[in-house]
Amino acid sequence: MNAIAERYADQGVGAVFIYTHEAHPGENYPHLTSMEQKFRHARDLRDKLGVTRPILVDALDGACHRAYGSMPNMTWIIARSGIPVYKSDWTDANSVENAIQYFLDVTARRRAGQPLVPFRVERLDYRTRDREAFYKGLERNGPKAVEEFRRAFG
Amino acid sequence: MDEDLLSRYNYDSFVPEKFGPWLNFENSPPLGEPAPDFPLWTLDGEETRLSTVWKDHLYTIIEFGSFT
Repeated sequence: MNAIAERYADQGVGAVFIYTHEAHPGENYPHLTSMEQKFRHARDLRDKLGVTRPILVDALDGACHRAYGSMPNMTWIIARSGIPVYKSDWTDANSVENAIQYFLDVTARRRAGQPLVPFRVERLDYRTRDREAFYKGLERNGPKAVEEFRRAFG
Repeated sequence: MDEDLLSRYNYDSFVPEKFGPWLNFENSPPLGEPAPDFPLWTLDGEETRLSTVWKDHLYTIIEFGSFT
């Protein structure tokens, strides 16, 4: 996702990461109880996991996250007009880049004078599942996070 | 602050009865309608708004998530 942000930055595409709640709290990154802790975890996301996009921290009660469906790792694309044009219940770089290319093309067609009207489409996208990498990520959070996920999903 | 909401949203264990109620994508805002706007904070603690971000770009990619 960082690479996509860099690739399209000069075409008017912005990218941010909104820090929500701890989806898999563990001994190293327990559930959030204060904004100070939330900022600390968000800085670790930048410094330890290498998120280079601007990170914005949501309120402690997740007001923004909850309003958008509160999925643990979803992605939305919002146009300058404030209209959401893409939403995905999981973040997948291929899906996001495909969408951005489509919307940049829409902008080019509009600028070329084509009369465009919106319509709704539903599509099922596919992502690569990498259980090993996922469990490695959980290990960073602490053994509790690993055990709870294993108990919930095997 | 609604303490009950704070503790339910910031659940302490990944167990279905705690995380399940928050998986609410089906009731999320529809595409094509104005997006809800909220205050957010930069890592320096400066307050901004989601609308400030989306007004800055032709399109804005917004990823939601956390360290865990």
